[in-house]
Order: sequence, then structure tokens, then C-alpha cells
Amino acid sequence: MNREATADALGLHERASATPERTGASPRAALGSAPAWTEGKLAFRAQQEWFAAIVSTPQDEPAPVDERSAARLITASATLSSLERIDIYRRGYHARLIECLVDDYPVLQHALGEERFETVCRGYIARRPSNAPSLNYFGRHMADFCRALPLAEAGFAAALASLEWAIVLAIHAPTATAIGFEALGGVPSERWPGARFRVNPSLAILRLEYPANAYLQAYRLGKPSAVPAPRPINVAVYRTGRSVWRLELEPTMVTLVESLAEGSTLEAGLAQVQTMLVHESEQEIAQKVAHCFQHSVSSGLFSELLL
Amino acid sequence: MANRFELPNLGIGLGLRTKHYSTILEQKPAVDWFEILSENYMRTAGRPLDYLDQIADSYPVVMHGVSLSIGSSDPLDRQYLTELKALRERAKARWVSDHLCWTGVAGKNTHDLLPLPYTEEALAHVVGRVRAVQDFLGAPLALENPSSYAEFAGDSMREWEFLGRLAEEADCALLLDVNNVYVSSKNHGFDPLTYLNALPFDRVVQCHVAGHTDHGTHIIDSHIGPVIEPVWQLLAVAHRRCAGVPVLLEWDAEIPSFEDTHAEALRARDFIGAVA
Repeated sequence: MNREATADALGLHERASATPERTGASPRAALGSAPAWTEGKLAFRAQQEWFAAIVSTPQDEPAPVDERSAARLITASATLSSLERIDIYRRGYHARLIECLVDDYPVLQHALGEERFETVCRGYIARRPSNAPSLNYFGRHMADFCRALPLAEAGFAAALASLEWAIVLAIHAPTATAIGFEALGGVPSERWPGARFRVNPSLAILRLEYPANAYLQAYRLGKPSAVPAPRPINVAVYRTGRSVWRLELEPTMVTLVESLAEGSTLEAGLAQVQTMLVHESEQEIAQKVAHCFQHSVSSGLFSELLL
Repeated sequence: MANRFELPNLGIGLGLRTKHYSTILEQKPAVDWFEILSENYMRTAGRPLDYLDQIADSYPVVMHGVSLSIGSSDPLDRQYLTELKALRERAKARWVSDHLCWTGVAGKNTHDLLPLPYTEEALAHVVGRVRAVQDFLGAPLALENPSSYAEFAGDSMREWEFLGRLAEEADCALLLDVNNVYVSSKNHGFDPLTYLNALPFDRVVQCHVAGHTDHGTHIIDSHIGPVIEPVWQLLAVAHRRCAGVPVLLEWDAEIPSFEDTHAEALRARDFIGAVA
């Protein structure tokens, strides 16, 4: 069980004040259905609601106003019609949010292909518009969104999105220093049974139906693989210092770490592990329990020892 | 201290971008100051703040936001302001800026800098909100003139008049983006010098320069590529009026190496040195 670093990205990309552009985005200012506003003046708030409604309309749908209505609020320039001017904002809105999702889900983009991923993103944006000042958590619903897609690989896409989102969360989780064996060396033997551990605050343990971690690692190594068949895995995603790690876990290790995370003593946690090893000899059980604990420590899953 | 807020002339700075974190931390290059995008360091407890803490220990930092939504008809977001204030203290930011725009309504955020109608109603609305924000922060807010692609049929004044009156009536500072002046002048067909001539320069505490993308029919404020000569010339004019104001280069797409980005920023010397 080797842990694998996800340390190549120094941080998430910027949410800048620039107006983003996206090659391939629909350049047309679609003329659309009946205008929502035909007479009188719009109040300040109504103008903003009207403008935002147009800007956030999916680009593959007609604009919700026609040129005549648009001209009531926005003037034409020497080179662009009123609707074409509003459409610059519409393109910018979608391009910015797609860029954000590309940042968060580069491997999902690879798995689905750029064109299909962009279609997924546009659907996501329409379904899950941002309601926060920061885009840091805009992509948080992607796994659920993928699971409901009418795609053959929807389950795999959901698993991969879960894994990539866990990486994002680990980046934003509080920074902790992992404790190592040197911190444990001086603990008197009689204190061990009652010892408790605080797990790394960035730790998330995922139960995935597909081997998404191997797929992600192959992608990072430049050896892209085909969409895999279902195979359940457990993956720990966590951060120590600036490095985000992914570690596939045996069920015994999941049990131990989750037990300790819930506040169990080491004795109680290891006892839970023992109950899972019903077919092993006492010697094998002792070895596996010891290995389970040692591997948890050496992987940096714990940030504090509480005696 | 040429501005009325007595904010310092920090020199020539760079927008802090993740691509350059390693170079900055490992090589500690001689950069006068960095501007951070506020929202990149909000709603996070993790790695972005680790980097920021280290950089703020070594360089002066200024905060530049994109989600204050000062022109929105939604209520001011108190939680956002609380986080903004906390970040300002953490980063020891010299000042806080955002844009003359709105970014969302009815609880939704477009994350785009949407245009305001330049009317008396909008002016009164924004003046009140700027005052409230400054009271909350306990510090002047610097508002940046946006690049815009649309003008409202009901406008009763031009952007420079709106911005000037806003600054006076709300008693706020201005961040003058000369690239935005250039972009908007082409998109709306006005003389950029008319814009500059109308501004209260004693309220300008910072200037931005950036690249843009000319599509022929309109210009997009893409922050790509080097700054073009006419924008540098606008900086020269603005800098002469300010008699010393910090200048910052924004480069947000196809970002080159740190060295090349910094070299582009330092070109500002050729235009502010000649008139200083």
C-alpha cells in the first residue's frame, strides 16, 4: 500500500478579475422567445434580475429576450447590437465557471473527453449556480451530478469526481503536522491501551465503487488507461504540509482509523480490527494488527497523540 | 504620500499567482509588493493561507476583491465582509480594493463584473453601500473602474462622472485601471483622456495595467499578454497627475514565468520615471 502524492499542483487556480474567454464557446447571440419586458421602465433591482437571467441562460438555449427588448435596456455600439453586448457577459459567465470546474476536475475532464466534459459542466452550471462569494466550493456537487448523468460511465465518473473533490477539500483543510514514531517512542507501555489519536484534520476516507485512484495515478504518470470495470476500493485523501496524499486502505485500516477518529482508545480500535480477522491464526492477527497501526502512523494519518 | 488617504507609494507590484508561488518562496525575488485576489484566500483554512502567510511575512500585500458586489441590489453580505476584514488583518494588507460593479442578485453569484447603470438612483445606492463597507472595515475602500462591454440606455451620466461623484460622496479611494479605461473607451467610443481628466486624482491610491484581447468589434479585458503602448501612455498621464502612485501588473491567462512577468511589470519604470 504505497501512498501517492498529489503534490504537483501548488494550489487551485486564480479566480481573477479578467474576463475569461473560451475557445469553442457558442459565439452566437441567440434570438429567443418572447421578451419578459416590453413596456415601461425597469426598476434598479429588476434591471439586475433581468440582466442576470440573460447572462446565466445556458448558451445552447436561446436568449430569453429578443433584440428589441435588449435594446430597451442596453444601447448598441457602433459594432455590436445590444444583445451581442450582453452576450459577452453571458459567454464570460459560463467560461469562468467552466474554467473553475476544469481546475477542480482535470482527470474527469480527461476521462470524459474535453467536449463531453464541457457539456457536463454546462449542465452543472445550470443546475447548481454559485451562491457564494468564493468559487472554492462551487464544484462540490459534481459527484452527485455525474451519478445522475445518462452515461454508461456515470458510476465511474462519480467515483472519479469524488476522489478529485476530496483532493480539493484536502487543499482547503487546516494544515496539520503528522506525528511519527519518534513521538511515540517515549510513551510508557501501560499508557498505550488508553491512548487516543487525533486524525489529520484533512483526512477523508472514501469508499468508491471503481478503482478511480489507480486511474488518476495512471493519468498523472502520463499513462492514461481505459475506463475500468467496477471494483470497490477505500482511499484515504489527506494533506501533510503542502503535499496531498492518496492512500488505498485495506478494510482493517479503515476500521482502525475511523474508530480512532471517533474517539476510541487504541485498545478499542485494535479490538475492532481483531474481530475482522476471523480466519487468521493468533500470530497472523497480531502481525496484521501491528502492521495496521504502524502503517497508519507511518502514512501520516494522525496529527496528535492524546494520553 | 500624494493621496488624501496617506496610503504609501509601494512601487511596482505584481498580482500574486499560484504559478509563481515556488519561485517567490524559494528565490525571494526583489518585488516591491504583491496584490492578492481576496477570494482565493477566503473560505479556506488550508494551503492557500500557508502560502499567503509566508509571502506576507516578506512582502507588502494589498487585497483586491471580485465579490464585494458593491452595486448589487441584494443586501451587503455581512459574512463576506467579516471574512474580508479578518483576511486583511491576517495578511497585514495595506488596503482593500474591489470593483465598481455588481456580481450577482437574488442570492446568486455570477462571479463576473457586471455593469451598473450610471444613474442618480444607482449612485445613491452605491454611495450608501461604500460608506457602510468602509465603516465596517474601519479603513478606506478603493474602488476600481471596470472594463465594460455594455452601456445602459437609461444612463444619465458617463462612467467617469459617476466614479468621481461616488468617490467624493462616499469619501472612498480609487484604483485606476488604465487598461480598463482603454478597453471601455474602445468598446463605448470615448476619448480615454476625457475619462482621466475628470477623475479626482487625490483619491487614486493605485494603478493597474494589463494586457487585453482585441476582437475587432470589441476588446475583452483578458489580462493576456504584454501591456500595449497606448495603455502605458495612459499610465504615464495618470501617474503624472497622481505624483507617485503604486503600479501593478495583472496577468491572468497564459501566465509566463515569474521573471518574464516581473520584467513586464518593471516596464512601468519607463513611463512613470519620465514624468515623476
